[in-house]
This record gives sequence, structure tokens and C-alpha cells, in this order.
Amino acid sequence: MPKTRHLLMASTAGMLLAGTAFAQVSDDTLVVGLSADITTFEPAAVSSRDNANVVRHIFDTLQSIEADGSVVPDLATNLSISEDGLAYTYTIEAGRTCHDGEALTAEDVAYSFNRAKDPANAFTGNTPGFVFSSVGFVDAVALSDTEVQINIGAPNQIAFGLLAEVYVHCKDSYEKMTLEQAATSPIGSGSYKLESWTPGSEVRLSKMSEPGTFQNILYRIIPEASTRSAELMAGNVDIITNVAPDQIDAINGSDTAAVQSIQGTRRMYVGFNLSPEFAAMPGGDAIQNPDVRRALQYAVDVPAICAQLLNFPCERATGIVNPPNANKSLTPYPYDPAKAEELLDAAGWPRQADGTRFTIRFQAGRGRYLNDENVVLAVAQYLSDVGLKVETDIMEWGSVYVPLIRERNVGPLFFLGSGGGLWSPLYDMTDLAKVDSGTNYTHWNDPRWFDRWTDIAASKSPEETRVIIDEMLQVFYDDGPWLHMYFQPDFYGVSKRLNWTARPDEKVYLFSATLN
Amino acid sequence: MWTFIIRRLLQSVIVIIGVTLISFVALQIGGDPTFLFVSERATPEEIEMIRKALGFDQPLHIQYLTYLGNILQGDFGNSLSYRQPAMDIVLGALPATIELTVFSMIFAIGLAIPFGVFAALYRGTPVDGGIMTLAMFGQSIPNFWLGIMMILFFGLYLNWFPISGHVPLIMPLLQGDFMTALTNIPSSIYYMVLPGVAVGFYSLSRNARLVRSSMLEVLGQDYVRTARSKGISERAVVINHALRNAWLPVVTMVGLEFGFLLGGVVVIETVFSWPGIGRLVFNAINQKDIPVVQASVIVLSVIFIALNLIVDLIYARIDPRVKL
Repeated sequence: MPKTRHLLMASTAGMLLAGTAFAQVSDDTLVVGLSADITTFEPAAVSSRDNANVVRHIFDTLQSIEADGSVVPDLATNLSISEDGLAYTYTIEAGRTCHDGEALTAEDVAYSFNRAKDPANAFTGNTPGFVFSSVGFVDAVALSDTEVQINIGAPNQIAFGLLAEVYVHCKDSYEKMTLEQAATSPIGSGSYKLESWTPGSEVRLSKMSEPGTFQNILYRIIPEASTRSAELMAGNVDIITNVAPDQIDAINGSDTAAVQSIQGTRRMYVGFNLSPEFAAMPGGDAIQNPDVRRALQYAVDVPAICAQLLNFPCERATGIVNPPNANKSLTPYPYDPAKAEELLDAAGWPRQADGTRFTIRFQAGRGRYLNDENVVLAVAQYLSDVGLKVETDIMEWGSVYVPLIRERNVGPLFFLGSGGGLWSPLYDMTDLAKVDSGTNYTHWNDPRWFDRWTDIAASKSPEETRVIIDEMLQVFYDDGPWLHMYFQPDFYGVSKRLNWTARPDEKVYLFSATLN
Repeated sequence: MWTFIIRRLLQSVIVIIGVTLISFVALQIGGDPTFLFVSERATPEEIEMIRKALGFDQPLHIQYLTYLGNILQGDFGNSLSYRQPAMDIVLGALPATIELTVFSMIFAIGLAIPFGVFAALYRGTPVDGGIMTLAMFGQSIPNFWLGIMMILFFGLYLNWFPISGHVPLIMPLLQGDFMTALTNIPSSIYYMVLPGVAVGFYSLSRNARLVRSSMLEVLGQDYVRTARSKGISERAVVINHALRNAWLPVVTMVGLEFGFLLGGVVVIETVFSWPGIGRLVFNAINQKDIPVVQASVIVLSVIFIALNLIVDLIYARIDPRVKL
């Protein structure tokens, strides 16, 4: 009996010690709780924001975009653009070193760009899929050890910012690796290097060079929001992303952490699909009329949705561009259901005997955006209040809704968010760069918008460009294909031991985080 | 018996082909998977290039037959998300799930048997009432809710157990690192307590009821009365005579229970950040990572088939009336 008791006591003590050892975060390690898994360390295959937030600590970029939207040097100390706007020549800072010990040169930069484009690699990440598509990337050539030239297909006023998203990696190491090895063994020149990766569980980084205050960064994958909050409040993690709105009060009421709420740059909207196929559907014909679309802007109380469902006092959007760069003469549509009804009557859609004006399907994905399902239901209710018979169709996000969206085959009403930025209004507007752009899910084709892109390309000064932009945004505000909603707020739980400020662009960079 | 085993193994091949076919078709229902792997700004030419690179340009039956052909050569394809061999990823996640499942099974069965026996022996008393109330409670509450409540109470409020995470036990063993496996044992078990209880609580409740009713049936049999009349102690009657026969339905259930618990860990793995196969499959389905889903389906099917076979063999062993 005493033997058994001793064994029990020993194992209990062992367990408690094991637990205690884990529960305490150390001063040289920053622990971040992420909501989504990290799937790759292949720089050309990274596509999700969570993945990019980790990888950015390993790889440098030519330039960096700061939280306020300013563009600052990173690897490149200088950028010169050719007169025809097709060649971008960067001067690479001397003395940078790869994690494999080799010097980082212009050749590594050119290799990184060309490797990402190589069709044999079939990369589908942000670099080949978004950046290269947007700028019409042609190739990259190392002119010397310190100069690299990036050639693009057509002049593009925001190419410099887009090219700043490409991760530079080190040629010598990558040439020796298979694609499978490259996905797990990143070799960059960033402040941190990968120490270990347990898929589905954790990623450990250790510091290689400045900037970077903590010696180690530990990312823990904690998909369940309430578990992330509990880990934060227990003091086991320092930062958590995607705090659920209903847990904000609990975290703020704890002794260990507080929530940083920030208006993000992701533009949330209800899209009107104006394609001929959808025009033949119930309700699809009604929304072809810009007066109907404008009427519906008055029907939805966006600030109330923000306050009640997002726990954040957001201001309603006036268009496609984030506030600092938006047309400042525009004011958000107010909530005025009487005016909405009046405009719908005038547009030729009066209430019928059963009290409804027309039936319309409203499609959305579930679980991608903050409280998205409830937001959709609330919008549907507001539209019902002014006489629409709304048939909501909320589906699984990844495997069902995304393919529909990508085929531009969703609607007639649909709920969606689109990532934006603060560094240029054109960045936000390029969702609708062409009528047949993959991101023009609405099939909107108003020439007062689309024809002006030629004017922007030909404009001679920033002031002239700004005038054109404001005119385009006015059209978008009056007759556009979006029911303007809000810029999605982001909630970060931050330990009180930490001094770190969240950015509005969903980038979680930890270089400057310090202990209080 | 060998004929039985060989026949069952041959049937298993058909079952595995069937489940891969069903899962393959099911994953195609939501639309073209290519769109999950291309940028929203990709041109039609780029989309077509990626579709071709991923093999989605072929007719469905060709895609499936190609896949089966590759499997026969041991090639389960590369994960579309991880860009690693799909089977490696699945087998990498499996040990964590096995650990959790075994723990929850030990918890469930280890408590279900004494609970069921005591409830039967003290039928109609507060002991029986208490155990059956607990069993009803366990069968009524969803395991994810129980998991979250345990996190808040035992993890956050009392700080007795870790809130989430995993310390590997089987993986170091498989890698031949016995020292790490040995030193990980206390912390590994410590991390398993909350998720293991959350997964196993339903099973505990169901099996406690099963053992109780099975015991009640056996305790009323003539041979038990005979045993008692011979003057054998009540403890010996219960353990050697009654419980031995009450075992039969329980053994059947235990085999199936392992499969049930494997399925039950999907949600719990998410709640407790447990890096197992359940969460992997859930994410793979969402991302239409078809090679990972297919590899998982094959692995889980093999486990289920093996378990059923083992149960049948054990059943024949403990009940001489059963002939294979």
C-alpha cells in the first residue's frame, strides 16, 4: 500500500511539475496563439495572412510597408524606375547574410523572383498568384552584386508596393533543395530562422539578427477562440489573434491581458451580382437599376450591426477605398428605411399585396469573417424590413463558397470581404481594375469607372491622379455594385507583460515587441 | 480461422476502394478545387496552368483511376496545402490521435466497468441512481461543450491542468528516441487528461449503462444462484461468474468504441489544439486537399477494419460457442 501511495504521489508531482514548466512563459520567448495552421515555409507558396505573418520574420523583402502605409527600405536602399515605367532597379544593401552563411546579393533577389514564376514549380502563393498577376511580372535580372532589375509588362503606379510583398530567399540553398524540402526548410535573411515546426501544433523561431527584441518566438496553433482566450488569460501566451467579440469583456476584465481593437483595412460589403445570368434570376433584375441599389444603401443600419454584432463602433464605409485615402467629400449613407422605401417605390418596385417588393437570394460563406453568419442574417432582416423577400443561403466557406466566388457565380446578393491597404488608394481600387478582373465578382461594367483607368495611367501628377480617383469613387458611391458595410475590426488579445501595438492591416509583426 | 481472416482481408480491399471512391466524389461536389489554389486575380490561362499541374484537368474517372494506380505503387500524392507527401502528413498526425483515443478509452472502460457493476449490485439504491444520473448527464452533453467547460474550470480557474497543447509520446518511440518518450510520459498524460475525459465521457456513460444491464441479466441466471448456493464469496461470484459472462456484449462494444472515439476526437482536437488526424482531416476537407483527405480515409478505414477483425477474433476466443 505505501508503495502504491508513493507511486501515486510521484506521478502526481511529475504531472504538476510538467504542467508548471509549460505554464510559465519566459522572458526571452514571445508566445503567439494563432487561429489557423501554418501550412508551408515555401516563400512562393505562402498565401494566407497567418502563414505570411510567420514567414515574414524569416524572409526579408525589398521594401517594407509600415503600419501607417509608408513604404520604407528593407533589403533595398534605393529604387529607380525607368522612364517607360517597365523596369524597377533596386540597390541591395551590402553586408546582408543568409541563414546559410552566404552573402545575400542581387543574384539571390533575381533568383527569388524568377523561381516563383517558374511554371515547373507550379507555385500558387501570393507572389506568383497576386503580385506577379497584378504587375505583369516579366523577369528579374541581376545587374551586379548589388543591383537587380525587375521587369514588368505595363506601367503600374503601385508596382513598387506590390513588389514589396515578395520574399527574398537564398539561391545557394534553394538550388540544392527539392520542392518538398523547401517547404519545410526556409533559408532567408530575416531576423529570425526556423528552429522547429510541428504541423498543427507549433512553430519555433530563433533570432539571427536585428531587428527583433525577443530571442525566440513560439507560435502555437490554437484554432478554438475560447481556448485561445483562456490561454491568454492564464498567462500562457502573449498575443492572440482573432479574439471573438463576445470574449472581449472577459479578457479586459482579467488581470493578465487586454484586447486591442483596431479598425482593419479589410473591406466588408454586400455585392450585387449584375451579370446577365443573374439578371434573369428573381431580384437580379431589380438590382440592375442603380436607383434600387442606392435605395438599399439606406435600408441597412451598419453602425448598429457593428455595435451589436462586432462589439466595435465602426464607421460605415463610403466605398472601396480605406478611409485615409477615400474621397473625403463623401459621407456614409445614413440608416433611413423610409427613404429606402420611397426610393424603391420610385424605382418601380412597390410593395405587393403580400407586403413584399421582390424576392432575392443572398449567399454567403460561414466562418471566414468576424461573426459573418449573424451579420448576414441581420442584413437580410434589414432588407426584409423594407419589403424584400430575402432567401439567405449561408454555406460552408472553403469547399463550397470560395469556388462559387472564384467562378464569379454567386448572388444576386452576396457577402464578402476584400483585403485592402493604407499605402495607396489604387491598391484598394484594383479589385475592379477591369470588367473581367477575377476580383470583379459583381460583373459591374460602368464605363465611368472602368474607362478612367486609362486616364490614371496617363496622368502626369499625383494631384491629377487624385482628382480622377475622387471622380471614380463618386461614381462608385452613387451607382456602384457594393452595398457599403464596414472595414472589419480586428481584435488582438495582448498580455499585460508585453508592449506591442496591433496594425490595421492584419500584419502581426513582432520585431519591435518588448516586455513592459 | 485463417480462412475467415483471409476472407475478411479480401473484403477489406473492396471496402477501402469503396470509401476512397465515395470521399473522392464527395470532395468534387462543391465545385472545381483548382479555385482554392489560385489567386483571385489569376488569369484564365494561369488558372488552366494550375489546374493542369494539379491534375484537375482530367475527367473525374481518369483522376480516380490514376490515383488508385499510384496507391498501388505506394504513392499517395502530395498534399496540395503542405506540399509534402500526403501519407507522411497523415501518419505524422496519427500518433497524437491514437494517444488521445487510447487514453480516453482507458478512462471510459476503466470506469465504466466498476460503475456498471456497482450500479447493478446496488440496483435501486442511491449508488445506482447516482451512477445512472451521471451516465445520463454524460450521454446528454456535447463533448465540445464539456471540453470548453473543463478548460475554463480546471484549466483557467483552478489551474490544475494545461488548457491546450500536446506532448508527444508515441512519435519519439517510433523515431527510436526512447529516452524522450520516457521523460515525456508524465507531461504527456498530464496534457491528455482534459481532452481525454472530454472525449471519453460519453463512452463512459454508455458503457456503464451497458455493463449494468448486462450484469443485471447475468446476476439473475441460474448458474449465479448455484454459485452463491455453493457458498462462494459474493466477490468471487461477481468477478469469476457474473462479470465473465457479462463481458461478451462489452467486448463487442469496446472494439467499436475505439472507432467511435477516433471519430469523436475531431471536435475535441480543435478545442484542445491537439495536433491529430481529426483536425487534419477537417482542415483538409475545407481546403479540398484531396490527397490528404484520401490518405486519411485509407488509414482510418484500415484501423476500423483491423479493429473489427480483432473484435471478432477475441469474441471467438472468449465465447467458445462462436465459430469463425
